[in-house]
Amino acid sequence: MIEEEVIHFLIVVFPIYMAAFTLYAVRAVKGPTIPDIVLALDAMTYDLAAFLAVLAIFFRSPILIPTAIVLALWVYALDIYVAKYLESKEMGG
Amino acid sequence: MEESMINLALVGLGEIMVAVGVISDLIAALGMLRFPNFFVRLHAATVGTIWGAFLPLVGASLIAAGSEFLGQYRWFMSGGAIVTAILILILAPAGSHALARAAYRSKSAEVRPKSVDHLREFLKKEGGEESA
Repeated sequence: MIEEEVIHFLIVVFPIYMAAFTLYAVRAVKGPTIPDIVLALDAMTYDLAAFLAVLAIFFRSPILIPTAIVLALWVYALDIYVAKYLESKEMGG
Repeated sequence: MEESMINLALVGLGEIMVAVGVISDLIAALGMLRFPNFFVRLHAATVGTIWGAFLPLVGASLIAAGSEFLGQYRWFMSGGAIVTAILILILAPAGSHALARAAYRSKSAEVRPKSVDHLREFLKKEGGEESA
């Protein structure tokens, strides 16, 4: 009983996530400056991590959860790299 | 019987959290598209990361904990989702703060709706004294 209810709820949730990702992607492609592009990618990827956790429940595959952790960490690294590049115009460690 | 009641409560709470999160996500994406410049879009990014990513992850962890049809691995999924949620709670504000500081200092995005900019004057004065 719980199973059917959860699966139906998740099926309703998916299109809203897809609409949000589309809007973020439009901003990431259009974005006039570099910080705009990185900010849109940033928000989109954190939401993608949440979406992966929801997908893991839908497909009943626990292997999708570590992927979400790695995704969150990588997009934080992207933020810090781009911020450092913008501030001092170099990528050195 | 009691166990199924607890599972139902966990799943219901998790579904409420995921629903609130996904609606905030849509609102944040609309704001990201419609707001005029970078420093205004930071507000939309805040809604999108904390309300739109942290809250659904906690909700997904509650749903996973209450769904017995997932089998034994549901505790792994629940714990992993909580870990991801806490990581995002720490990393997302730090990342967007660093990005905002870099965008302001490198002048790559302009601060448009403004009446006075004390930080710019301060930086100019400080830089002038350093070079002199």
